[in-house]
Amino acid sequence: MARSHVDEAALYDRQIRLWGFDAQTRMRNATVLVLRLRGTACEVIKNIVLAGIGTLKILDDAEVTELDLGAGFFYREEDVGKKRVDAAIPRISALNPLVNIVSLSSPLDLSDDSLHALFLNIDLVCATDYDRPTLEKLDEACRKQGKQFYAGGTLGSYGYAFCDLGEHSYVSQDKTKPNAPQIRKTFKYASLSTALKASWSHLSKRDTKELNPEVVFSILAVWEYSARHGVMPNSYDTVHELQAIANELLGAAQVNKLVLKAMPEKHVELLATTAPYEISPVCAVLGGFLAQDMLKAIGGREAPMANLFTFDGMGGGGTVCRLGMKGAV
Amino acid sequence: MGRDAHARAILGDELCSQLANTRVLLVGAGGIGCELLKTLLLTGFGHITLLDLDTIDLSNLNRQFLFRKKDVKQSKALVAAEAAGPFNPACKIEPIHADIFEPRFDLAWFSGFDIVLNALDNLGARLHVNKMCISANIPLVESGTAGYMGQVQPIVKDRSECFACMPKETPKTFPVCTIRSTPSTPIHCIVWAKSYLFGKLFGESEDDEAEFAEALKNGENPNEIAELRVEAAAFTKIRSSLNSPKAPALVFDKIYNADIKRLLGMEDMWKSRTQPVPLEYTAIRSGTFVIPERKKPGTQKAMNVVVNGHSNGKKAVNGSGTADSAGGLKDRKALSLEDNVELFASSVQRLAKRQAATSQPLSFDKDDDDALDFVTATANLRAICYGIQTKTRWEVKEMAGNIIPAIATTNAMISGLIVLQALHLLKKSYDRMRSVYVRTKPTAPLGVSTMAPPNPYCAVCRDVYVPFPCNPEIAVLGDVLRAIGIAKAEDEDDDNDEEMNGAEEGKVMREAYVYEGNRLLFEPEMGENAKKTLAYMGVTWGKSLTIMDYDGKVVNLVLVLLPLPPDHGADAKPFVMPSTLPTLPARPPPSAPSAPPTPAKPTLKRSAPEDDELIDDTRAIKRIRTEGGAVKAPAEKETTIREENGVLILDDDEEDNVIELD
Ligand SMILES: [Zn+2]
Repeated sequence: MARSHVDEAALYDRQIRLWGFDAQTRMRNATVLVLRLRGTACEVIKNIVLAGIGTLKILDDAEVTELDLGAGFFYREEDVGKKRVDAAIPRISALNPLVNIVSLSSPLDLSDDSLHALFLNIDLVCATDYDRPTLEKLDEACRKQGKQFYAGGTLGSYGYAFCDLGEHSYVSQDKTKPNAPQIRKTFKYASLSTALKASWSHLSKRDTKELNPEVVFSILAVWEYSARHGVMPNSYDTVHELQAIANELLGAAQVNKLVLKAMPEKHVELLATTAPYEISPVCAVLGGFLAQDMLKAIGGREAPMANLFTFDGMGGGGTVCRLGMKGAV
Repeated sequence: MGRDAHARAILGDELCSQLANTRVLLVGAGGIGCELLKTLLLTGFGHITLLDLDTIDLSNLNRQFLFRKKDVKQSKALVAAEAAGPFNPACKIEPIHADIFEPRFDLAWFSGFDIVLNALDNLGARLHVNKMCISANIPLVESGTAGYMGQVQPIVKDRSECFACMPKETPKTFPVCTIRSTPSTPIHCIVWAKSYLFGKLFGESEDDEAEFAEALKNGENPNEIAELRVEAAAFTKIRSSLNSPKAPALVFDKIYNADIKRLLGMEDMWKSRTQPVPLEYTAIRSGTFVIPERKKPGTQKAMNVVVNGHSNGKKAVNGSGTADSAGGLKDRKALSLEDNVELFASSVQRLAKRQAATSQPLSFDKDDDDALDFVTATANLRAICYGIQTKTRWEVKEMAGNIIPAIATTNAMISGLIVLQALHLLKKSYDRMRSVYVRTKPTAPLGVSTMAPPNPYCAVCRDVYVPFPCNPEIAVLGDVLRAIGIAKAEDEDDDNDEEMNGAEEGKVMREAYVYEGNRLLFEPEMGENAKKTLAYMGVTWGKSLTIMDYDGKVVNLVLVLLPLPPDHGADAKPFVMPSTLPTLPARPPPSAPSAPPTPAKPTLKRSAPEDDELIDDTRAIKRIRTEGGAVKAPAEKETTIREENGVLILDDDEEDNVIELD
C-alpha cells in the first residue's frame, strides 16, 4: 500500500472516526471555489483545508488593508498593499500540503459566460460577504451547472449562511444506538430567490418563535437596504429605514403577529451601525458552521442545513429556517 | 484606521481598551485552545497566559491549525504561542509548558488573572480549574467538544452554577467476573486485554487481592473469585519465561486453553450462558483447527456464531472495518483467526524483547504499535473463544484508547462562542450570559440556555474560601482551629486545656470536621492531630483545610494555604487570620437525595491536557466521550435531554424536527 495513504489515514484519523472513510475520499476528490477573502472566508478556508479537500480555488481581487488584519489571520502587517490572495496563499498551503491551492485575483465577472467558465470543474461554490443581488446571480449560475452553492458572511456581531444544494442525497446514522442502520435521504433545495419569497403563515406560534424571526428579518432587512442603496447601512440615521424595511418583510412573509407584531429596535439599531464590520469570534462561528456544512454536503454524510442559518453573536444562539423547500423527495 | 477599527466599531472603544489590559489565562493549547488563542488575539486581548502540559501528535494536525508536521513531539503551548503571535504582535503571550495541578499555580497565581478560559479535555483538570476560579472568585468560561457537538458555559461565583454543581459522569467499572470470566461484548474483551492481561505479562506486577476483596464485598461469586486467584498466580511463572521462543505458545495455552477449560469446569457459570470454546495454538498454526460447536444454554436461543474457524485464512471474522472502502488499509482489515494468532505471537515476542532490554514494566499506550497489536490480537482471540464479534485494529485503538472524534469546525465555533461569552463577563453584563450548545438539531444548531443558579448542595461553589497565609512547618492545627472558633477534641489530654478550649474572649466555639481534600484530619471525637503541624500532616502551600460544621448547619469554610507576606515577623504567629472571618451562610437542610458528598473532591488524575483522551482509569472503562469530559445538563424547560457519547444534548421530542417554510 502506498505510504501516503497510510499517512493520510493517520493525519485524518480523528475525523475519519466521525464521518467515515468514504466521506473523506469524497472530500479528497472535491474542488471548492471560495469567492472573496474576508474574515469569514479565512475561517472557512482554514477548516476545509485542514479537513483535506482536494483542490481549493480562491477568487479575490482586493488588496490587503490594515482593516483586514482584524479578522484575517492569513495576513500580516507587512502584507498591507499586496493582493489578498498573494498574501494568503502560502499560509493556506502550509496548513495542509496535501491540498492543491489555486488563486485568481481578477474581479468577479457576473456575466453568464464568465460564471460558466469560472464554475467549470468546481463541485461547490462558497460566496462570502456579498450583497443579495450578487448572491442570487451566483446561485442561479450554480443551479444551471448543477454546482452546490453556499453563501455566508458576518454583519457586525450577526452572521448568516445559506445553501442551495439542488437535489441532494446523504447518508446518516443514529450514533446513539448501537448498530443503527445507515439511512439515505434526498432533499430538494430551493434557490435563494425562491427561498426569500417563502411564507411563514402556516407556522405555529411556537415554531415561529423558535426560529427567532427578530434576528432573521433584521438580517434580511440589511440585505434589502443594501440592495436598494448599493451600500450597507452604516449610521444611526438608517435605523428607521431598516426598521420600516423589516416590517415590510415581516408583513410580506406573513409572520405570526402573536410572536412578532413589529420589529423592535434592538437588532436593527445594532445592525445599522455595525453591519459593514467584522470581528473574529463571529467569523469563527460562521466559518466553522459554513465549513462544517460544506463538508457534510461534499462528503454526502449527515444532513446539511436547510437552508438559511442566522446567528446573533451577542445573544449566542443560531437557528435554521427551512425556506421554500418542500422537504424530502 | 488600524487593525482594531472593526472591533472598535462593533464592541465600542471602552471595551476594546479594556481588552488590551485584560489578563487571560487560557488552559489548554489543543483542539479548542489553538482556535481560541487565534480568536483572542484577533479580538484584541492584550495579555494571554497559555498553559498546556502536552506535546504535539500527528493526529492533532487535522484540527490544531497552529501546528505543522515538523512540530510533532514539541510543546503545544510553546509552538502555539510562537505560531499565533504574528496574528496580533501587540498581544503578550506567555506560554507555559506545565501541569495546571502544580502547586505553584496556587490561589495567588489564579488571582492575577481577570478571566480564565478552559480549553481542556480531561474532567479532573476541568474540575480543578473550576475550583481554583471559584476560590479566587475569577470568572471562568468552561467548554468542551466531541465530534459535531460542543458546549460553552460561563461561570461566575454566586451568579451561576459552577462546573461542579451538577454531578459528572464518572468512568464505569465492569464487574471483575464479567471481565475475567464471562465477557459478552467486544469492550469486555478489550478491557481484559488492555487492563488485565497486558499488565500481567508486561506491566508492574501488581497485587489482585484488593480488587478481589472489593469484588467479594460487592457480592460477586466467591467460587469464581477463588478460581481467579489461582489463575493470577500462574502468571508469575509465565512471566519468567517470556523471552523463550516458546513464550507465545505458553501464554496462548494458558489463557485460551487451560484457563478456558478450567472455567468450563465451573458448570454453574454456564447454566444460562453460551460456553466458551478452548483454542489450540499448534492446531491453528498448522491449519488443522476447527472451532468446536458451542454448547448453548438450554434456556436461551441459539447464539450466532460469528467466527469461521476454517484454517484457510480466507474467511475473515466479523470486524466492521469492511463497511466502507477503507478495508484495504492494514488497520481496517478484518482479521481472521489465523491473522490474530500470528499477530499475537509476534507482538508477544516484540514486547517481551523490549521489556527484557530495559527491564522496565510496560504500560499500555494506544499509540504504541506493539501494545496495540497485542491488545487487538488478544482481545479478538478471547472474543473468538466466547463467540463475540471481533474488531479491527482501528476499532480496537478507538475503544482501548478512549479516542474521541474531533474536528476543526466544532472547535472553531466553540472558540468564537467562548470569546463572545467572555466579553459579557468582562463587561459584567451578567444578564446576557448564556450557556451555548453546538448540536445537531436541524432548526437550532446553536442552542442557548440562561444561567441556572448554583446548586445549594455544591461542595465547591457553596463553600466560603479564605486565603490563609501561614508557615505550615510551624503552624499547629489546634492553634489554627482555635483562631477560627472550632472547639477542641474532648479526649485531648492537653495541659493547656483551658487555653485550647478557647473559652477566652467569650467566643462561642463550634464543633467541626477538618479535611484536606478527602482526608479527614480532625473530628471532635478524635483530636490527636490538633497538636501536629500542618506540614506534618502534608498540608502545605497550595493545599487547603476544609472546615465542615459538625451539625451541618453552615456551609464549609475553606482555608487556602499561602506563603506568609515577606514583612511577617519571625517571632509573630505562624499564620495570619483575616481580621474578621466571613459569616458562613446557613446550609439548606440535607433533603435533596442527590446532594454531592462533602467535601466532594474527586480522584484527580494528573494527566496532560490532551484532547484525545480522558481520564483513563486502568480498570474502568466506560469513557466519557467528549473532548473534555462530561457535559452538564442545561436547564431548559421545553426540551428534553438525551445523552450522546457522553454529551448531554438538548433535544425536542419530535423525531425529525424541522420546520418548513414554503
Ligand atoms: Zn457549584
